[in-house]
Amino acid sequence: MKIRTKIMLGFLILALMLAVAGAFSIYELRAVGSSVQALLDDNYRSITAAKSMTEALEREDSGMLLLLSGKWKEGRETLRTADKKFIEALETAANNLTIKGEKACVEKISKAYKEYSMLWDQPIVNTPREGNLGWYFKDAHQSFKNVKAAVQELMALNDQAMYETASDLKNRAHRAVMPGVIAILSALVFTILFNYFVNIYIVNPILLLIKSIDNFLNKGEPISVKMDSDDELADLAASVTSLTAMVKTSEDKS
Amino acid sequence: MRPQLIIRNIGFVLLFNAVFLFFSAAVSAVNGDSALVPLLYSAVVTALIGAFPVVFVPSVENIHNDEGLAIVVGGWLLSSLIGALPYIMWGDPFTLTNAWFESVSGFTTTGSSILTDIEALPLGLLLWRSTTHWIGGIGIIVFMLAVTPTSGQVAMILYKNEISSLAVENFRYRTRKIFQILLIVYVGLTALETICLIFAGMGVFDAITHAFATIATGGFSPRNSSIAYFNSPLIEGIIIVFMILSGIHFALIFLGITENIKKIWKSVIVRYYLAALAIGSILVSINIWGGMYENFREALRYGVFQVVSLGTSTGFATADTSIWPGFSKLILIFFSLQCACAGSTSGGIKIDRVLVLWKRIISHFSKLKHPKAVVAIKLDRTVIDASVVEAGLLYIVIYLCVVFISSLILAFMGVDIMSAFSGSVAAMGNVGPGFGAVGSFSNFGMLPATGKWVLSIVMLLGRLEIFGLLLFLFNRLIR
Repeated sequence: MKIRTKIMLGFLILALMLAVAGAFSIYELRAVGSSVQALLDDNYRSITAAKSMTEALEREDSGMLLLLSGKWKEGRETLRTADKKFIEALETAANNLTIKGEKACVEKISKAYKEYSMLWDQPIVNTPREGNLGWYFKDAHQSFKNVKAAVQELMALNDQAMYETASDLKNRAHRAVMPGVIAILSALVFTILFNYFVNIYIVNPILLLIKSIDNFLNKGEPISVKMDSDDELADLAASVTSLTAMVKTSEDKS
Repeated sequence: MRPQLIIRNIGFVLLFNAVFLFFSAAVSAVNGDSALVPLLYSAVVTALIGAFPVVFVPSVENIHNDEGLAIVVGGWLLSSLIGALPYIMWGDPFTLTNAWFESVSGFTTTGSSILTDIEALPLGLLLWRSTTHWIGGIGIIVFMLAVTPTSGQVAMILYKNEISSLAVENFRYRTRKIFQILLIVYVGLTALETICLIFAGMGVFDAITHAFATIATGGFSPRNSSIAYFNSPLIEGIIIVFMILSGIHFALIFLGITENIKKIWKSVIVRYYLAALAIGSILVSINIWGGMYENFREALRYGVFQVVSLGTSTGFATADTSIWPGFSKLILIFFSLQCACAGSTSGGIKIDRVLVLWKRIISHFSKLKHPKAVVAIKLDRTVIDASVVEAGLLYIVIYLCVVFISSLILAFMGVDIMSAFSGSVAAMGNVGPGFGAVGSFSNFGMLPATGKWVLSIVMLLGRLEIFGLLLFLFNRLIR
């Protein structure tokens, strides 16, 4: 192989090593970006929906207590707005089923909420239920707690998924950084290796050739440099040997 | 010494490793797992660094013995280093120390792991982990020589430095033929075991990785509970047969298949090897019967598997031997020290040397009785040269010294004595599991980082049969 090709190969390898490291880092960083987006889209949206449902539920519980205390208008108004908010949040959660077990969780909330809303949908004011705290604690509050437990389950499920995604993000960030680190270390090793080979196969033969020429010029010693490689330097050594042999012959003749 | 020639040959070793890294990366890509980038980048870097000296440095027809030694030791060290790259890049739980330990353990076919949850690893990385066993089992250099065109003289010097000195004595073929025999037997046994395991109900991936680990007498399993995961006497039976076969001199297996199967049985070494395994299995089975297992069949099933697993330096597990009685543990420690035959993929002192020691003791008694008698030491009707006997005995002494020193260092670091001693025995013999905290169902993850480095050096000393690594490290001093 010729010197030109060898040197070019050395630089090509160095460039390739760095380019591939860069490409892999970009690939992993893009994956990190996607993971962050997925974290926001998939888990954070569901957690926000679960929080809204909990808030709406608390409001509905207040509305129920207002009805029990005979305040029909305030109670119904509170229930109506809270119900709207809960349904909206539930729909958001139902349209964002991204993790295993989430569908079952949303169905459980839906079923529990249907049972709960049936309790406050029926007339309360001016009925035997008005002021009946026994009914409230036995049926209404129990049903409220069931819905709340199901919503908290959804939140815990998404919290767990969020934690796992965050751990995965940490690993992906590590994988994005590592090609760069390894590329730097490899490039260092490679540079030392390259430098060593350049010395052994290019610089040293040139020095040897120079020394031989000096010896020829000063002491008249014949040039006979043996090259290990089959490249331009070997051709140069052969040419110099021929040249000096010719010079020697012509000197001898004259 | 010509460093450029050493670098050129190590370049071939790196290229060879890169091929397997690319293969693991391909599996990772097909599976779509998270090990793709670590494996692919490691493969690219290894291929580029390996290819450069191969292209730049012109080939030569001859190398010196010390250059051969440097190529072999350098090849093992660099293979272990690049083997650790995918682990380091993949991340938790692989710190630099853990990745190096896992890689050395893989290449030296030790099979000790730092992993608590092996099944959490992506498929591509698990394949690479088993592949390190398979490459290291036959010997990186032998593998490389078998597939690359190398001059006979260069190959012979590398081969002599790579393989057990006793196995070199036992071979009577030309170098190229030796490589062919080794490769045919090695690949043949691996393929045969894979097929048998698939027929026994194992999945293809599990079958391939377990076959890699069995034939290399490694012990890495992609399952947390090793072979116990399958709870199948048929699978255990198949693995026992192949572990035993992998512990026999490969040239004998080749002769047995191509010429006459009786040739295997005619070998004194093989007869002793099989008899020792049989006696050990029976003793352990009787010892664990009643106390550990209610019926003898159960005791025999687990007893035989564990004795063969440690007695061949494989290290697979079907039972937690850490809770077995002291007698069984001692028997298992004896097998972890002795291991199987020279010329196989097994580690340890090796049966050939144990027999030489035994015959030397007998000859010593004969000499005491008849001082003027000339007593020759014979193995398989061949007179063993006095220098080979001396080297064998010296090896056993140094081997035990290394185990003792390693145990001492680990004990100094606060590791309990059973874990320190059995862990050192397991590392030196390239067996894998020890007892106590480093038992068959435990791992080496809890050891201090320095302890892991010590054990990884011990693994390399065991794999390179002590003298190789010591001579490489203290070359100038010894001169």
